[in-house]
This record gives sequence, structure tokens and C-alpha cells, in this order.
Amino acid sequence: MGRYIIRRLIQAIPVLLGSTLLIFATVFALPGDPIAALAGEKRQDPKVVEVLRDQYHLNDPFFAQYWHYISGVFRGDFGRTYAGVEVSELMAAKFQVTINLAMTALVMEAIIGVGLGLWAALRRGRATDSAILASTLILISVPVLVTGFVLQLLLGVQLKLVTGIDFFPVAGVFDGWRSYLLPGFVLAGTSIAYLTRLTRTSLVETLRADYVRTAIAKGMSRRRVIGRHALRNALIPLVTYLGADLGTLMGGAVITETIFNIQGIGQELFRSVYERQQPVVVGIVTLLVLVYILANLVVDLLYAVLDPRIRYE
Amino acid sequence: MSTMRVTKGAQIIAGTALLALAVAACGGGGGSSSESSGADQPVRMEIGEPQKLFYPSDTTETEGSEVLAAIMTPLVSYDDNKQTVMELAESIESDDNITWTIKLKPGYTWHNGEPVIAQNYVDAWNFAANVENAQSASYFFGRIDGYADLNPEDGKPTTKEMKGLKAIDDSTLEVKLSAPFSQFPTMLGYTAFYGLPKAAFDANGKVTEAYAKQPIGNGYFQFTKPYNKGTDQTIDLKLYDKYPGEKPKFQNLQFKIYTSTETAYNDLRAGNLDIIDQLAASSIASAKTELGDRYIDQPDAGIGYIGFPLKYNDIYKDVRVREAISMAIDRKTISETVFSGTRAPADDFINPAIAGYRQGACAVCTYDPAKAKEQYAAANGPKTLELGYNNDGGHKEWIEAVANNLRANLGVEVTVKPFEKFQAILDELDAKKYGGMFRMGWAIDYPSPENYLTPIFSTEAAKTGSNYAGYSNKDFDELLKKGDTASTPEEGLKFYQEAADILIKDLPYIPVYFYRVNAGFSQHVKGVKINLLNQVEWTSVEKV
Amino acid sequence: MSDIRPVGPAHPETEQDAPADAQVTAVGVPEAPPLQERPEQPDAVPVKPKGRRDKPASLWSDAWYDLRRRPLFLGASVLIAVLLVMAIFPQLFTSIDPYDAKTCVLANARQDISAAHWFGTDNQGCDVYARTIYGARNSIVVGVSTTVVTALVGGLLGLIAGFRSGATDTLLSRTTEIFFAIPPILGALLILAMFRTGNVWTVMLALAVLAWPMTFRIMRAAVITAKNQDYVMAARALGAGPWRIMFRHILPNSIAPVIVVATINLGSFIAAEAALSFLGVGIRSPDISWGLMIAEARDRFLEAWEPLLFPAFMLSLTVLAFIMLGDAVRDALDPKLR
Repeated sequence: MGRYIIRRLIQAIPVLLGSTLLIFATVFALPGDPIAALAGEKRQDPKVVEVLRDQYHLNDPFFAQYWHYISGVFRGDFGRTYAGVEVSELMAAKFQVTINLAMTALVMEAIIGVGLGLWAALRRGRATDSAILASTLILISVPVLVTGFVLQLLLGVQLKLVTGIDFFPVAGVFDGWRSYLLPGFVLAGTSIAYLTRLTRTSLVETLRADYVRTAIAKGMSRRRVIGRHALRNALIPLVTYLGADLGTLMGGAVITETIFNIQGIGQELFRSVYERQQPVVVGIVTLLVLVYILANLVVDLLYAVLDPRIRYE
Repeated sequence: MSTMRVTKGAQIIAGTALLALAVAACGGGGGSSSESSGADQPVRMEIGEPQKLFYPSDTTETEGSEVLAAIMTPLVSYDDNKQTVMELAESIESDDNITWTIKLKPGYTWHNGEPVIAQNYVDAWNFAANVENAQSASYFFGRIDGYADLNPEDGKPTTKEMKGLKAIDDSTLEVKLSAPFSQFPTMLGYTAFYGLPKAAFDANGKVTEAYAKQPIGNGYFQFTKPYNKGTDQTIDLKLYDKYPGEKPKFQNLQFKIYTSTETAYNDLRAGNLDIIDQLAASSIASAKTELGDRYIDQPDAGIGYIGFPLKYNDIYKDVRVREAISMAIDRKTISETVFSGTRAPADDFINPAIAGYRQGACAVCTYDPAKAKEQYAAANGPKTLELGYNNDGGHKEWIEAVANNLRANLGVEVTVKPFEKFQAILDELDAKKYGGMFRMGWAIDYPSPENYLTPIFSTEAAKTGSNYAGYSNKDFDELLKKGDTASTPEEGLKFYQEAADILIKDLPYIPVYFYRVNAGFSQHVKGVKINLLNQVEWTSVEKV
Repeated sequence: MSDIRPVGPAHPETEQDAPADAQVTAVGVPEAPPLQERPEQPDAVPVKPKGRRDKPASLWSDAWYDLRRRPLFLGASVLIAVLLVMAIFPQLFTSIDPYDAKTCVLANARQDISAAHWFGTDNQGCDVYARTIYGARNSIVVGVSTTVVTALVGGLLGLIAGFRSGATDTLLSRTTEIFFAIPPILGALLILAMFRTGNVWTVMLALAVLAWPMTFRIMRAAVITAKNQDYVMAARALGAGPWRIMFRHILPNSIAPVIVVATINLGSFIAAEAALSFLGVGIRSPDISWGLMIAEARDRFLEAWEPLLFPAFMLSLTVLAFIMLGDAVRDALDPKLR
């Protein structure tokens, strides 16, 4: 097991280096001078621009810049933004917010998705099943852009206006965990639908398996069959999906964060690409890639826990 | 301060956070607060995140300036009649408009106890002007003799001091300019001209980062803790007891950092915020009715233009073409519909907030589609036009509206071209790659009519300043020089107005709108006043 | 799920790269984790009712037979047909040409629904109905072109990697891993930022660059399965050359999953285009896009909801139509899931 983990981590290094290099090169190749752009509408004194470019090593050749950056990262120094802020401090603050959001989404996804999927599977072929499947179709189809605005209007504004219930903040993260409910659901929307379908399919297949039939034939209670045998085996693809989704939820929340004015890494990333804030873009991507790699590793390890037939050596 | 509006705009791109908040604006209840307003309860004001740490000479936008203004005392300030009045300076005098003697008032101290002395200004200004320190406001010191030594054409500066700057004694500062300039005292109220205490500098004469996080000022408020940009959501200030001048009537001031003014407006209505200095266009209608006399609407010194690349694109060469374009723009409807009254139609090259404005001076700034069409046809204007703007500052809507005006009124095709940043427009103009019209905004650096002319339209400014059109007119330059060397500001004003007349005749840029200040405040405070630099006058504010 | 879905793990199974190097010690028969849609295998073709047709039914004719009887497919087809007409001949639906500036009167901005303006007017005083109709074209062009390019590039590379294995495979597979690790929205932002301009083609390119690895993986997996089937061995034994084997035998038997994913992704690409245009890096004014309309309307959402909700509704409907189509096609080609 230990050796397996180490091997996986070693294999992750090229992916990590490759993706940072790719992003670094892309930001490097973007047109426009981030330093000159700092000045806004007044022409920045070219001499001042030069001094700042030197200060941020922007006049060095590409590989020198990359080496400067990556060696800094290995020392735990993610550099500074062109406004002089430590990127590591900035990322810590933004990641906190996005992790809260992604976790809310993940929990909702797991509870609602698995719940609905289970329900549909047990009612397979009946009206409930069809209704659930139809709603997943709609949930998948309606873009975040639309669900975000509609829910914001309905639950954030109208609910308060009509019933006086002030439960869902319209925007921002000033109200603790409640702030994350609406955006969390919007972010999780499509995933909830996929997870519902996945749970249903997976469970249906498992319920057909011989050992389940045997268990039922032995006279085991339905609840016990589903809980102990079917669900446990059906869980593997679900866990895979959830694990893989964590990275996606964190890296893909720009629109949700924009609609609900949540200052997480999504908005920060968007702004940084816009401002050519290379250290911020690359820093955030590096961490996101790490999250992705680790989440996948944890998922693979969970296989072994859930399915005793799988062993890593 | 050229970037003041830009900054708000930048939040829009970056934050894009709007609707939510616009939505919330409607959803909120009345303005009643549930919070207790005890004696320690701070007055809370909305700001956007300052772009940089607090280096005064690197702070060229409103948000950071607002904070610095609360902890610093400027040498001069501006009264209700737009005139310069002495603040920390006791007197500023010159016989020849070249050598200026600045006397400091006694009794002022820095928050760490150091006395305020003339050398503080020498140190701060030398630091600011030195190219090696890369301060974005360094060009402000360009008129001081010796600036060139700190900004050599090639290589590094060989000295660290401007020879025109001398502390005669602790309370006397002598400044020698490289050319006469009658408006010099007016400049001194700007952020870049604050002094800095000895404690701000390290052994090499550089301002330390620790200082920039928790600046030590000489004003009525002081920082209570260092500010961590990017993570802190508030900046907390408390009254400086030893301040010798007129003090504010409350103890604590808190700046709350918002990414969208709509959210802030919502918070103001919920009683969680006291002052917003610029409301979003989408909140104006609600603010007018709900805030009543707690809504402030007054001129702001900024101007928005449409410019032409005169220096290399001849299709705009005929002034009748430019006049026709100007007359085809329905400024009034744009101000009312797109901006909901947060802008006013422009009719001069000098803004109404500043002495020297003349209402209706620009005749071709009046909407006249029929005459525009006729004149455009007579001048054989181009059949297709291009209109560029930076899409990081909330300009899209009005630019689209202008484009529609031109299409409908002149019968031409108009391509609207978004650039990511204003800098991208500049790059293409410099490279002569972009030949279309472009938007441009100007917010003043100091409240003098001269500031609307020299930096944007003088021949000199084509190289280093903001003369992006490449406009050049000898008579205009001559009048500016006369204004600069005039013996009194009033006399100078006359020359500047004559210079503005030339601009109206030549129309190198089309003035489109004047900015307005649209502020609002809660029931917990009264007496909120906003000055020419868009900063709140804290001495007049009281808690209710 | 992320805002820009197609490029991410739109389908769990594509992500479910069961640890390639995990040593599975079989206890009993190792059962592959149940997949939502697994690479089609020849032996997965269901047993057909006898005597239905004379000609031996292929997977394709069978699927088509099946599709024609599905309400989901029929509904989706009708919707898509209408959308296609709308995209090609928008003037059939409205007499107003929204590209004509004279139809926008600023003073009429943000008007409610009326006989003259069925969906009201937007912030520029333009007719929202006409703009919504004309917005269909760009969405569909981006969706279709991205799907085609992705399927071609990803499919071809997947075919080569799966068939050749060895160094080619390793190189391509490692490359796709990097693409999977980069958040898609960021990738799209970066690519589009490079162009400094945005239109249907830049958006298509950005989406295709990010989406091909998924098609690649699916194709590769299908090819690897097909490659070891008896009929391929037989063809090889009979002396068929590699090209013939690849295109005559393997391709037809491994393309089904690619088609399924391509159809489903079409809807996602349309949603992604709207998201990118909403963020200001996709299609730009004066071109019309639903995402752009939503972005323009959001600041004044409270004062006028029509300019935001109508394009949002059309966008959802279009995505729904294509996803329904994808679902139907998947069910037809992967009968095990019924």
C-alpha cells in the first residue's frame, strides 16, 4: 500500500510539472504588459515600467523565469502579485472560501444525488423513477448561468418579499454557512443529476447480481440486502465520481462565484488571467492540480476499502 | 488620480458581482438597524480594495487615497469655492513662480510622536521621484528641478536627491521648479505630496513594507493594526488624540471593503454601513426615493471623452467630421438611461466642479442629428467608423449607445471594438495599429483647470503624457505657458479658458459626459460632505 | 458541477480510469465496476428478436429502429429541427433585424412586454425577442462545430493511440492527463485571452482544445477492447494490413461510444459558449449570443427581468434538446442500460 502511494505520487510529478509549465507558458505568451496595465488610463512612465519589470524578473528569458518561479515554489514561496501582495497569503484566503463552497456542493451532491438515485432504483420502472429521471435531465440541461439567476431571484429575493422569510442571503459570504447553501446547490446542480443517474444505474445492476439474488433467496430482509450487499458494491462508482468531482467543483466555480459575489479562487483566477498576474494564475492552478491528483489517489485507495477484491501492492 | 474611475470599473470586471446585489437592493427591508450604536461603534464607510499597499506616492486611485486622506494632513486643501486653502502649510509663496517657500504650521506630530518637519517632505518626495522606487505618481514631481537626475534617460540615477528640494530649517521647505508654474500650490493637496516620517524609511532610504501596511500619518485618524491586502475585509482607524487641528467628532472610523457597490448599498439599507461615496447606476432610482436627503448628487471633476488618432489617421482630419460625430451623440439620453443620472452631458473641456467651467461653451456638444447628418455628408465623412473601449470599466453600455447614435444619425457602419484594458488601446495607438476612435476618461490630479489641458492636449504630453490623440497646436501650447507663468491664479484662469476655446474649435477629443458624485449615507450619521478629491470631510461628519 | 461542463468529467465513467496499475487480485470473477455507459463491445449487441428483418441487423440499424420509437428522441428531434430553422432563417420568426441599429431606441430602454416588443426591450432599447431568435445561430454553430472537431481529432488520435500502443500511446495519454488536470474554465479563459478577440471560431477552438482528451480516452479504450477480439485476430491471420484492420474492422466497432459522448456534449458546448460569452471572453457585441445577452441584462435585472430570463430560457431549452437527443442515442447504442 505504502509503495503504491509513493509510486502514484511519483507518477503525479510529470503531470504537475507539465501543467504548471503549460499554464506558465500560456500566461507568458499572452499579449500585453501587466506592469504597464497597472497604470490604468494614464500612461505609465516607461522608466518606471522598466524598473518594475526588472523587479518581477519579467525581462528574463522564459526558462529563467520559470526556474525562478518553480524553485521558489519548492521553497514554499509563491511569489508576489504585481501589487506587491504575497500570493500564498492571497491564495490561503481565497481557497478557504472556495473550499467551503465546494464542500457544501459535495455534501449536497452526495445526499441528494445518492438519495434520489436510491429511491429511483427501488422504484425502477414506476412513475417515481420516471419523474426522477426526467428531473435529472432538466437539471443537467439548465446551465449554471440560468439556475444561478433564477434561484437567486426566487429564493434570495422573492421568498423574502413574499413570505418574509429571510433565510437565503442574496450574495456574499457574510452570513456564515447559510451563505453557501444557494450557491452550493447551483454549483452542485449538474453533479446531483449525474450522481442520481449513476446511483440508480449502479444499484440496478447490483440488484441483478447473483449474490443479491442468493441473499434474497436465503430469506434476508430487503433492507439488509440493499444496505449490506447491494449498496456497498454500488458505492464504488459513486465514490469515484465524488472524488473526481471535488477538483472540478473547486476549479469550475467562476460563474457561480460571479453570480453570488463570492470571493473565491474562481473569481480570483478570472481576474488574474485578465490582469496577467502570472504568479497568481500558476499558483492557483498548481494547487488545483494537486487537489485533483490527491482526490484521485484517495478514490483509488477507497476502492480497496470498499471492494476487498482490489488490493494495491 | 487618473485611475479613480477605472478602479471602480476594475471591480466590475473582476467582481462582476452586480446583479445579485442589485436584486438584493430591492429585496431588503427598510433602513432600520438592529445594531446598537454605542459610543465605540465606528462610522463605517464603503471602499473598494486599494490597488496597492499604502505608499502615498504609489497610490493613484480613489480607494487607497480615501484611506490615506483620513490619516494624513495635506499641505493644502480646497474650500467650497474650489479655492486652495492652507492646511498643514502656513504659507506657500513665490516671487517668480519658480522658487516656492513653504512654511509649515507648528504643533503637528506623526502618530509615533515624531514632530512634522520640512525634512519629512524632502525625504518623501525624493523617494517618490526616484525611478528606482518605481512609484506610479513619480511624474507629479516632474516640475521640480532635479527630477531629471532621478530619472535619467539611460542607466540608473547617480544621486538620490533632487537639487531643487531643500529643508531650510525644520519648518521651512524650499522648492525650486525647472520652469515657472503658477498652479504649483494647487498641486500640493494631492496624495503624492504627503510627507513621510523618519520611521517610514529603512537604512537605504526606502519606504519599508511594514510602513506601507500600517502607515504612520500626521492626520486626525491613525491605523490600529497592519492591513493585509487581499485578505483583510476592513481597515480600522481610531482618533489621534494629539492632533492639533480640528478633530472629527467621533472616535472610530472603519473602512469596509466591498467588491460591488450594490452589495454595499444593500448593507447600508440594512444598517450595516454608513457611507457610500459612489452608488452604482442601478441603485440610483432606489437611493433617491429611499434615502431622500441622505442622497448626495454633486458634480465630480472627471470627464469622459471620445478621442481620435489624429496623428496618423487622416480620415478624421476634417474638423467637420469630428463636429458631426459630436452632434450625433445624444448625451442627454445616454446620461439619463445608461447612467441613470450618474453622469451629466458634457458641454465644455473644463468640468463644472472646477473654477473655469463655462456652461454651454462647446456648441457642437449639443445633440442635433439633422445638422450632424448634413455636415457629415458635406465633409464626405468615412462610411465606416470604429469605436474602441476597454471592457474592464463598465463602458460597454454607453459605447454601444454612442455607436447606435452614429449608425442611426450618420447612416454609417460602426464597429465597436472591445480591448481588455485601456493599456491595450494605448499599445495599439502607439504602434499605429489601431486607427479608430477610442474612449478615454480623465479624473483630475489636482483641482486646476490647467489639469484638463496640459496633460491631455499639449504637444509635450504627446510623448510622455496622456495626449493619445497626438494633437498639437502651437497657439494652444503658448496660452498654457502664459497661464502657467501668470502672476495670479485668476489671470492664469483667463489664459486657460482661451486655450479651452481652441480645443472647442479644433475638437481633438469629443467631451461626452461629466462624472457626478452620487453618494448616500445612513441614518446613523449626518453632515456627510464630499470634497473635490472625492474624499469625505470627516470633520463635518457626526454620529446621530 | 463546474460551469463549463463538457470538458470536465461530464460522464463519470470517462473519469473512472480505474487505477491502471492497480493489481486486481481476483476473488471469484473480477467484475468491472458498473459503468454508466461502457465502451461498446461487439458482444454487447443485444439478441434481436428473430424474423424482424431479413437482413442481419447491425448495431446501427438496430439502434435506428429503436430510436424511431422513443418519445424522447422524437421530442428532441422536433425541438432541434425548429432551432435549426431558427438558426438558418431567423427572419421567418421576426420581422425585426436586431443587427440594424435603427431598431434600437435608447429612450425606449427596459420596456415591459408589449405588442410591439413581445419580450420587452433591453438596456439599449433593442427588441429582446428578435435578439433571442437571432441568438440561436451562434449557439448552434459553436455546438455543432466543436462537436465535429472534437470527435474527429479526439477520435482519430484515440484510434491511433489505442491501435499502435507503445510510445505513441504513452505520449498521447500523458498529454491528456495534463489536460484533465487543468480546470477547463481556466484553460478556456487563457486560450481566449490569447486571441484578444472573440467570435464563434475562437470559442470553438478553445472548447475543442479542452474537450478532445475526453473523446480520445473513450476511443482509445474502445479500440483496445476491440483490438483483441477474435474477428480482428482473424482478419490479421488472413493477412489484412494495419490500415485495413484499423479502419475496416476496429473503427466501426468502437465508434459508438464516441458518438454517444459527442451528442451529449453538443448541449454542453452550447452551455459553455454561453458561459464564456457571459464572462466577456466569448462571442462579443455586436454579434448576438444568449450568454452575452444575459451578461448585459444582469446589472439591471431588478428593473427589467425580460432581457435576462428570455435568453436564459431559450438557452436552457436548446441545451435540453441536445441532451435529450444524446440520452436517446446513448440508450439506443448501449442497450444494457435500459
